[in-house]
Amino acid sequence: MITVSVQCLGIFRELGDHFDVDVESGSVLAIREAVSAHLIKQNRPDLDNVLRRSIFAEGDELLKDHIVIESSTVSLLPPVAGG
Amino acid sequence: MDLFCEITEDRWTCGLTDGPCQMAGLDLLVTDPAHGAVAQFFGVVRNHNEGLAAAAVDYDVHPELASKALAELCRDICAEYPVRLVIFHSRGLVQVGEASVVIAASSAHRKDALGAVSDAIDQLKVRVPIWKKEIGLDHEQRWLDGHSLRKD
Repeated sequence: MITVSVQCLGIFRELGDHFDVDVESGSVLAIREAVSAHLIKQNRPDLDNVLRRSIFAEGDELLKDHIVIESSTVSLLPPVAGG
Repeated sequence: MDLFCEITEDRWTCGLTDGPCQMAGLDLLVTDPAHGAVAQFFGVVRNHNEGLAAAAVDYDVHPELASKALAELCRDICAEYPVRLVIFHSRGLVQVGEASVVIAASSAHRKDALGAVSDAIDQLKVRVPIWKKEIGLDHEQRWLDGHSLRKD
């Protein structure tokens, strides 16, 4: 089991600047599932819909779900809305 | 402008600034004696959105990813158009009437400068990790939906 720190951006900042999830492996898919469970625990099922359209990043690299992270920190990026 | 990030290559510059972007003098950054056209776009915070009154927008930015995405965007635009190009975007609070994004392009003839600016703002909105939190007149806050970066 490893603990991953999830840095929040955009609407996910409503959960704070970051939160931790425990995952069996460092795959992005496992992190995504752990974050989904965290949202339910935080009584924010509305954000689960946003999570499905969100992407994780490690440093300045966007991550596909099959990737295994190298560090223990990821950023959670909801759909973007610049301009 | 209070730039906290700036990247420059041969034909383009992009950056991120705390607070509003400066509109005046942007054209001077793309001047070229061989260019007879300069096009600019200023994205300005308006006082309404989706039927609700707005006082300001608070922009959240992932600095590393946003600067990388802006640089890739500039490279792509300059590969498609023979232009000089600048793009700056805000982080933090921008009030109604202030600019959150400014883009300028110059080219020998107008079509390239106009096309570059138009494509740049269209693609910025769907590629660059920046988020908007709208602040209402009553200080109510709401995050605006956007475009997913997921490709899988």
